[in-house]
Amino acid sequence: MADIGHRDMAILSKPEEAGNTNRARIGRLGLESRQHAPGWYQALVLAGGVLAGLAVSALILMASGIGFAELANEFVVAIFTNAQNVSAVLTQAAPLLIAGLAAAVAFRVRFWNIGIEGQMIMGSIAATAVAIGDVGPEWARLGLMTLAAALGGLAWMLLPALLRIRLSVNEIISTLLLNYVAFNLLLHLLYGPWKDPRSSFPYSQQFDAAERLAPIGWQTLTYALPLALVLAALCWWLLNVSRVGFFTRVIHANPKMAAAMGLPVVAVTLGAALLSGALAGVAGFAVSAGVEYRMTQSFFVGYGFSGILIAFMARNNPLGAVLVALFVATLFVASQSLQVFYQIPGSMVQLIQAVMVIAVASSEFFIRFRIRLVR
Amino acid sequence: MTQPALDLAAVSKSFDGFPALAGASFSVAAGEVHALLGENGAGKSSLMNVAAGLYRPDSGVIRVDGREVAIDGPVAAKRLGIGMVHQHYKLVKAFSAVENILLACGKGRFAGAAAVEQAIRRQAEAIGFQVDLRRPVGALSVAEQQRVEILKVLVEGARILILDEPSAVLTDKEAEALLGMMRQLAAQGAAVVLVTHKLGEVKRFADRVTVMRGGRTIATADPKARTVAELTSMIVGELVAEKRHPARDVGEPILTLEGVAGCRADGHRVLADASFALRRGEIYGIAGVGGNGQTELAEILMGVRKPVQGRIAIDGTGDVTHDGASRRRDLGLASIPADRQTYGLAGELSVADNYAVQAVRSGGLGGWMRVDGRAAQAQAATAVSAFEVQGVRGLRQKASLLSGGNAQKLVIAREFASQPRIVVAHSPSRGLDMRAAGAVHRRLREARDAGAGVLLISEDLDEVMLLSDRIGVMSGGRIVREFDTPADRQAIGTAMVHHG
Repeated sequence: MADIGHRDMAILSKPEEAGNTNRARIGRLGLESRQHAPGWYQALVLAGGVLAGLAVSALILMASGIGFAELANEFVVAIFTNAQNVSAVLTQAAPLLIAGLAAAVAFRVRFWNIGIEGQMIMGSIAATAVAIGDVGPEWARLGLMTLAAALGGLAWMLLPALLRIRLSVNEIISTLLLNYVAFNLLLHLLYGPWKDPRSSFPYSQQFDAAERLAPIGWQTLTYALPLALVLAALCWWLLNVSRVGFFTRVIHANPKMAAAMGLPVVAVTLGAALLSGALAGVAGFAVSAGVEYRMTQSFFVGYGFSGILIAFMARNNPLGAVLVALFVATLFVASQSLQVFYQIPGSMVQLIQAVMVIAVASSEFFIRFRIRLVR
Repeated sequence: MTQPALDLAAVSKSFDGFPALAGASFSVAAGEVHALLGENGAGKSSLMNVAAGLYRPDSGVIRVDGREVAIDGPVAAKRLGIGMVHQHYKLVKAFSAVENILLACGKGRFAGAAAVEQAIRRQAEAIGFQVDLRRPVGALSVAEQQRVEILKVLVEGARILILDEPSAVLTDKEAEALLGMMRQLAAQGAAVVLVTHKLGEVKRFADRVTVMRGGRTIATADPKARTVAELTSMIVGELVAEKRHPARDVGEPILTLEGVAGCRADGHRVLADASFALRRGEIYGIAGVGGNGQTELAEILMGVRKPVQGRIAIDGTGDVTHDGASRRRDLGLASIPADRQTYGLAGELSVADNYAVQAVRSGGLGGWMRVDGRAAQAQAATAVSAFEVQGVRGLRQKASLLSGGNAQKLVIAREFASQPRIVVAHSPSRGLDMRAAGAVHRRLREARDAGAGVLLISEDLDEVMLLSDRIGVMSGGRIVREFDTPADRQAIGTAMVHHG
């Protein structure tokens, strides 16, 4: 019964927090939980968290020998005043956004999909199979590749989703471990049957023109970006407008109550998990057909973590994910140039991402509580 | 009067600008049972949470044995000998009773566990509590869980005991035994605070009574010198005694159960054979000691637990034994679950969303493509005022911030929105004050008079006797006897404890 204890704490959201509220005192300061924080305040706090994270990140980078002026130049001036760089950021943002949507859809029903990278691999393998096998007429090729990618990702999710729903097998473990299975399958294909016939390097042959996401006519941008934006809009409609979206909110808040109210808990959970897998598959396709034009050994690296990060920072809101994906993409692009020009190790990017996550997660504290003077 | 064991003076506490306590004062002396009365939201629980170290007061003075103390957490309260049994239990569901008590008292970390278990068993026997100490408490009934909570506080050696509505979930006999035991503890020098709604208890078992209203203490009196009517008017300002209103127009059976059996989460078959018929226009009350299969029966009827045997039929539809909650609701079944926080509401969601769930599912708020948020807000606003849900400062406020009575009103408002044909109400007034319980009862009668069959499953015999048109007594997982009303309370009580 411990988890229903919050009723007689009337105001505090959780019983454990009741203890903290009273104990966590900083000198003459006390904490008080908020009943409701207005939207503008939440946005303000979130922005504050992002700023704090940026400040810490800047300090870390400065500590590793980059001047403040150079940092400002790399992150702000160079990125936003140069069309080529803007294009690089947008190109990078597209697959990140799709991966973020994949995470958000699953997290909305408390299905912790840690296997986005595995599903991306399977999506890309399926799309590459269509490309290599020249399946269907050329005009339909890209559509078929997208569909194959979605099905590939979805199929990879089927097992963990059913195991979780039927046998309560923890999806964190099953989706994570299937990443390794998918990766080894990828290596098998790239070192074996799908080795590039021209160079004998372990990556697939280049996609034909009809198998690539076409440039939209500005800089190097491809249709991967519009695809990602359309998917974001669809996810927004599904999660925030439609009836299913309402169901996901109830299931997220209290699955037992949702079941007692007769909501299709199993169907919605399964559907969200499969959709998450399908979106991840499409993300894999977007990298292969929109950036690299072939399937490589490492096209997926980092997207799983970044997708989770994006969903988390956007609070599983698809429109928020658009902004966060742009932000993360900026980080990626700026760090790439830092790596090249200042010899900053690549792991620094991950460090900065982690700092941002911690900063945003901590900012939640100020939404839940208010600090007050205690007499 | 001797020096009070616990003295709270001019205590104020507000949450986010809303005062829960406005200069409340209360004291209890060693050797007395002091009752604390008041409506839901009057501040009783808040005041006691201050004493138990869960809330830190904004202002005010706390003295224990005349010495001013700062209680900055539950551990500090425990050290001062203050123990509180909360209305909603603070237990780890997956742990057994023994493990929960070990966890709380912090003893027996290495070798003493067996000794502590011995102490628990002795304590349980001394009070006459029958609890399976080794079973996970999550599998125990609410009444059994309460016994674990009380044992926990006693084993910790509390000498200032605060019980927040202890008898709300007990049968007469259990309540009698519990309160008798509290008197005994007081005689041995303990100070006992009894937060309650039951005036009969107060008159019989309390030495003093303090009444709270609106975050303030209104008066302290000798309960023996006051009539129940006087006490009632001190609490609510006016007298509202509930009367029986028998059914006028009872129709054909609408819900029929034949030999329904069900298992608890651990596979134990606690519901052995439930057979009865609920008719249109009547309230069929199921009385019984907690843990005799009532929870499983309610969950099976709600559609969240599958029966392992038997048949459930709804008039005009036939067999619904294997249908889920969705289909049963489509057929006009409404449920008011005992565990509001688990099955009734989603605390994290807003009041409006909690109200809208039913309508969204059945298509009353737009199709699959779009949920009409504005209409949902409007409907919720209407329902909140029609069902007198108080404490709603905005429809976007989280439902978890509602007090027990108002949360229950919100559940009822939602469940009754679509004129149900069958109502399954499980302990619907548990933890509610008289006014709120009266409102819940009125709604149940209204549903009955509108032609619905109302199944009232309650461990509160007073409530069953007051509302029911027929009473089935549940014992050992079966309906062992049925009574027409007005029924003999003694006979029902006997049937509750003697099988067959």
